[in-house]
Amino acid sequence: MTQSNAPLVEEFQIGHPSLEWARAASEVGAAIVHQLNEPLTALLLYVGDLRENSARFPADDCAGQSLRQVAENAYREAERLCLLLEKIGEFSNVPLPKESAIRRGRDVIRWWSQSSCGNAGDAPAVSGARERLTARENEVLHLVVEGCSNKEGGVRMRISYRTFESHRAEVMRKFRAKNAADLIRLSQQAPEQPRGGQIGSVIRV
Amino acid sequence: MDAFAVNATAEADNTATRGLRVLVIDDDESVGAAIRSILGRRGSETELASRACVGIQALGSSRFDVVLIDVFMPGMSGLDAIAHIRQLRLPTPIIAMSGFRLGSSQIDYVGMAMQRGASGYLGKPFVPQQLVEVIHRSLSSATPAKDSIR
Repeated sequence: MTQSNAPLVEEFQIGHPSLEWARAASEVGAAIVHQLNEPLTALLLYVGDLRENSARFPADDCAGQSLRQVAENAYREAERLCLLLEKIGEFSNVPLPKESAIRRGRDVIRWWSQSSCGNAGDAPAVSGARERLTARENEVLHLVVEGCSNKEGGVRMRISYRTFESHRAEVMRKFRAKNAADLIRLSQQAPEQPRGGQIGSVIRV
Repeated sequence: MDAFAVNATAEADNTATRGLRVLVIDDDESVGAAIRSILGRRGSETELASRACVGIQALGSSRFDVVLIDVFMPGMSGLDAIAHIRQLRLPTPIIAMSGFRLGSSQIDYVGMAMQRGASGYLGKPFVPQQLVEVIHRSLSSATPAKDSIR
């Protein structure tokens, strides 16, 4: 799969860098995200449940492959699917100027070709996480990095601690952080970029 | 995480969700069915409603401990439904859910849901642990968030 993809990527980069192509790809991407959103959520829940309960499976079975490992692999692949869909969603249905649209399309395809080698890792999620934060979530992240508790953060932002907590959970989800320390580490790996130049509206998914 | 820790975590999850009555309002049945499966195995009873108006009717006729509602639905949106439920002075904790966002989304759905009276928020896709945690957090204090609209 990896080998056969290489010429297609090359062909896209050289042969189809038109605004029309980028717009069409954006529309298709939006449709894919829209259609796969719910079933993928259900899949992640089922596979996540299997993984969380896999300790009940025997450590080794007669086929030599542990069912625990199968559950772990299935979960990892489901997570990878979610990552792919998030990435497609990022560049979909956004009326960018020509240069930005083509650059963003190339970035996605470059990432796609890397992830199809099985090396997606955390980097794409982390690098895109900053861009996916809302202004309010960025404020929350700054306060978490400063060491604020939910109550302190809520007071500083003049919102309830529970709202602060919900924003914080969403920030952690976007960074795929396991805890506050993990979030701080990951956010430092993805420094904030200036928000200027981002145009476009958000469309319901 | 070792087997003992996994079992201990699972047991703590079950304690938090055992005996709960949960209402899931989502136009996509697959998500509702998955949530029912996850929570059912942890001792909760889940009812599904595919439209906001059906969910609001169910809330009026039965007791539920927690509501999970999709923000985006045809007909009455989840955000409008949250506001409507709060206008009816129903105190049930409500957890808003939303899907993948397109483009560089800067719309603050979390804030919008909480301002309308949600008690928690879940961004799709989420894993069982996140589902159980947000339910637990929402139940830990009974009143919905009250934020001033800035």
